Amino acid sequence: MRHPTEGDLRRLVDEPAGVTDADRAHVASCPTCLQALEEIRADARLVDSALAPAADGIDLDAAWARLTATEVAGRRQSSPRSRRSWRTAVRRPAVAVVSAAVLVGGAGVAAANDWLPIFQTERVDPVELTSTELVQLPDLSAYGDLDVPQEPGTEQVADAAAAYERTGLTVPGVAELPEGVTGEPTYQAADVVSATFTFSAAKAAQAAAAEGEVLPPPPAGVDGAALRLQAGPGVAAVWSQPTGAPTLVVARVVAPQVYSSGVPYEVVRDYLLSLPGLPDGLADQLRELSADASTLPLPVPAELVTSSSADVDGADATVLTSRDGLFAAVMWVEDGVVTGVAGSLSAEELLTVARDLR
Amino acid sequence: MAVAGAAAHGAVRDDLGEVFRRDYARVVGVAARVLGSRDEAEDVAQEVFLAFGRSSVPAGEAPGWLSVAAAHTALNHLRTGRRRTAREESLAAVPPVEPDVADAVVTREERSRVRAALGRLPKKQAVALVLRHSGLSYTEVATALDMSPGSVGTTVRRAESALRKELNRHASSD
Repeated sequence: MRHPTEGDLRRLVDEPAGVTDADRAHVASCPTCLQALEEIRADARLVDSALAPAADGIDLDAAWARLTATEVAGRRQSSPRSRRSWRTAVRRPAVAVVSAAVLVGGAGVAAANDWLPIFQTERVDPVELTSTELVQLPDLSAYGDLDVPQEPGTEQVADAAAAYERTGLTVPGVAELPEGVTGEPTYQAADVVSATFTFSAAKAAQAAAAEGEVLPPPPAGVDGAALRLQAGPGVAAVWSQPTGAPTLVVARVVAPQVYSSGVPYEVVRDYLLSLPGLPDGLADQLRELSADASTLPLPVPAELVTSSSADVDGADATVLTSRDGLFAAVMWVEDGVVTGVAGSLSAEELLTVARDLR
Repeated sequence: MAVAGAAAHGAVRDDLGEVFRRDYARVVGVAARVLGSRDEAEDVAQEVFLAFGRSSVPAGEAPGWLSVAAAHTALNHLRTGRRRTAREESLAAVPPVEPDVADAVVTREERSRVRAALGRLPKKQAVALVLRHSGLSYTEVATALDMSPGSVGTTVRRAESALRKELNRHASSD
């Protein structure tokens, strides 16, 4: 009889009833399996001990008070607690751009010298994802080597001139501040972020095997093919309330670009889309979005944000509105530069700001 | 509309308090396995319940959703270095291991190394591992991650093997 898999043996450690009688009987009388089982049990114990949580002494009432304070403050946008949840919300579009960059970059390659710009992002299209789908999104590091030599770094700078000097980008000027937004902004500058992904058929085959699947044969040249992705630099002006809660953010970021070292990007992309583990719906969306090679799939958590589109001086803009009504954002791409306006304002107010940027 | 009621503008779902009291400790436990610090884990739990409160996740799916969200959010903190302050703080928050588990004594330094390695694992492996060690059954892990129950053992085993190798690698190079 064949030996049970390591996965079966692992389950035997925790849930013997989940393993078939035949497998249990085999293991009980097979010295090889018994030895493997002991090793697996020892590893499981070691890891359990290493991960043992420091989670005793929880004060449930205090935690609940904190949560409700955050909720209430989030609505008033005035207490120091709101600043925190608020910042998270405001950052979301920027973070989304970075994660989209990594998503596309994951579909990418790296290594060679002569990079051909495969596409330059011309439009921002949200891909609506539920959190479940996000969870299922395969980590492409299982399919090759993802190298992110530099984490995105953002730094406050003295003024718009300093931001320009550091990034070469002009901070868009706001013609007229909306009601409720006052004072002088602070300025942020972000450096270039780049990532390279080298596809490995051996690694991908291993990942597929772990899922119980067989890797579809890669097209010629895809094994070892590399994509390089680059995004940034970026600048932002941030207006805040006296309490510190930001009310308006105006940002400009150089849009992500993908370079391929030889194999056309579309070939690599289509192959990656065919790999086991990618939800069918998402794969279809990505395929559709990338068809003209000029849009940037922007994963948006559908349970948190609704999206629509609007015109900003001839550019096709994406409007994101949080379902809780606390914030909105407007983003568009022009000449390879993403411009975004976000804040604790209505989408209409933000569109007015966006259309009057100088 | 009953369907999308919980996700209406500004609304917080009615069952938030009840679910919070029932599941908060478990959510903190999941995050603490990843981060090794109760304070950081409680920060993650706050984020998770805020998102849950504004979501329309069906009540029956809440426990699984919360566990997966806790594991993901904590792993994101671990990976992006969005740690509370210095690494030392999380190390200091780890209680000493009980000496009676003699076959699985893990030093503080090893714990920190295992967590670094956890951050480098493929995310699905890391999430499956954390959920399993947080007490979810194979069937629950499979449902939460949309895997077959049969592949949970393989995935968890793979992750444990990688973490053990990480410990051995350092032990042999010391």
